[in-house]
Amino acid sequence: MNIAGIELASPLVLASGIMGLSASSMERVAELGAGAVTAKSCGLEERKGHACPAILPFGFGLLNAVGLANPGVDDMIEELRTFRLQSEVPVFASIFGKTVDEFPEVAARIAEAMPSMIEVNVSCPNVASEFGRPFAADPALVGQITRKVRERVTDIPISIKLSLQCLSLAEVAKACADNGADAITAINSVGPGMIIDPNVRRPVLANRMGGLSGPAILPLAVRAVWEIAEAVSLPIIGTGGVETAEDVIQMVLAGATAVGVGTAVYTRGLAAFSSINSDLHVFMQERGINSLSDLKGAAHV
Amino acid sequence: MSEYMQTYQVKRVLTHNPGLKSFRFDRVIEAEPGQFLLAWLPGVDEKPFALSGVFEHEIEITVKAVGPFTSQFMNVQPGDWVGLRGPFGNGFQPIEGMVLVGGGIGNAPLRYLAQRLREEKLDFRWVIGVKTAEDLAFRDELESMPECMIVSEDGSIGKKGRAVDVLAAMHDSEPIIVLAASGPEAMLLAVHGFANTFSPDIPVQLSFERYMKCAVGLCGQCCLDGTGLRICVEGPVLSGHQLQGVTEWGRPHRGPSGRRPR
Repeated sequence: MNIAGIELASPLVLASGIMGLSASSMERVAELGAGAVTAKSCGLEERKGHACPAILPFGFGLLNAVGLANPGVDDMIEELRTFRLQSEVPVFASIFGKTVDEFPEVAARIAEAMPSMIEVNVSCPNVASEFGRPFAADPALVGQITRKVRERVTDIPISIKLSLQCLSLAEVAKACADNGADAITAINSVGPGMIIDPNVRRPVLANRMGGLSGPAILPLAVRAVWEIAEAVSLPIIGTGGVETAEDVIQMVLAGATAVGVGTAVYTRGLAAFSSINSDLHVFMQERGINSLSDLKGAAHV
Repeated sequence: MSEYMQTYQVKRVLTHNPGLKSFRFDRVIEAEPGQFLLAWLPGVDEKPFALSGVFEHEIEITVKAVGPFTSQFMNVQPGDWVGLRGPFGNGFQPIEGMVLVGGGIGNAPLRYLAQRLREEKLDFRWVIGVKTAEDLAFRDELESMPECMIVSEDGSIGKKGRAVDVLAAMHDSEPIIVLAASGPEAMLLAVHGFANTFSPDIPVQLSFERYMKCAVGLCGQCCLDGTGLRICVEGPVLSGHQLQGVTEWGRPHRGPSGRRPR
């Protein structure tokens, strides 16, 4: 299959933030059957992120507020280069900026590592106290960021990672399409949400609130992909709560071309990739489906 | 207990010295020696700690003050609430004839392993290495255990020297057939090196430490360069086979940002 000109052996893309700090961890996921892997989001400078607890399983998924911890773009370039030397599997970089103008800076730097795609994370829900509302909430800002990144990076496809934290996904998606994005990744973790400990009477996450991921958000993500697919013709990496082959099919029927897998590494282990791949194969074979792309958007009747 | 956060009141605090304490909680769990919990001090941080004992109605972790978080832990009193989740990771497998090698606070999980070995009526020997007598937790208990040999770098307790240095003599008196070690990485690698001088190698079970955020295999912080093995899931106890291909030995570990200091 093909997304924005990139050939993928499997539609499953390791989502950003999961085992994406090092070449070695991403290689492991690639070997286990991911069609592409996405590195952890990086910015211009090293960030320690929030204190722990930062990642909390709670029964229906995870609540996380890692807070864009990352080693900085220079170190990430090295990890991506190392990965590319050792693996044929496409690797996507992920970048964030504190300001609109930082995005093209980071994008231009990370492009030196020649990732197959640059995912532009305008939607981290866990840095509001520092950065304000996610850029993804505002179509005009998303448009500006997309255009500025596009101007600096012309030879590598860019995908904009969107959030439910906006008034109209359709508007935000159009801002991506109108300003030169090659793809859309949807959605980032949802919320934010909060878990309070009844004994100590305070929120458990060090950041107090964090983004929700995992099976609880699959229906939200499917709806988001649907809305985006209605609004624009860009390929979509449908991300959010995917754990099974049936979940992948739902995403594709809603309009996704590829599908992100993240929290499933917790709920199903790293074997999630190979299991979903083989279950997908069986699902398609049993129904005489030759290519997933035949199902793309088919639920839009 | 599970990977979900739950808070428990500290039932008892055992003070070995002002910077080395054990904390007991009223909690029954199924855990292998070497597995770890995440302990949360509300408003401070959350860090991994191996179990130092699992009793009929209580579990215990042992904490040494080495940084801001563990120093704060020294202020925890009976009745205080601490968040605990786990157990996480893969532990030690108790084996007849096992030789345990501990360095400093790394002896804590070996105490639980020794408890298990005794319960299963398996013979073992345990080399307890510390820098100085002050670093030894459970001194009375361990000094009275016939299986234990205490060594200290400054000679303030037991034999003077390092734990690894006594292995050759132990092997001469009775061949070592399997090693379990927990302690500083240099010690673990030295134990592995010792085991590799034999043909065939002596099987090893080595417990490693890395900075981690999630303990469930997601954050990538504890992945070993070279193989991508996750200390929190495939570890913390690794076999000699699992050490092959790792390229980060002897280098500083990744910190909270994911950066490895150069």
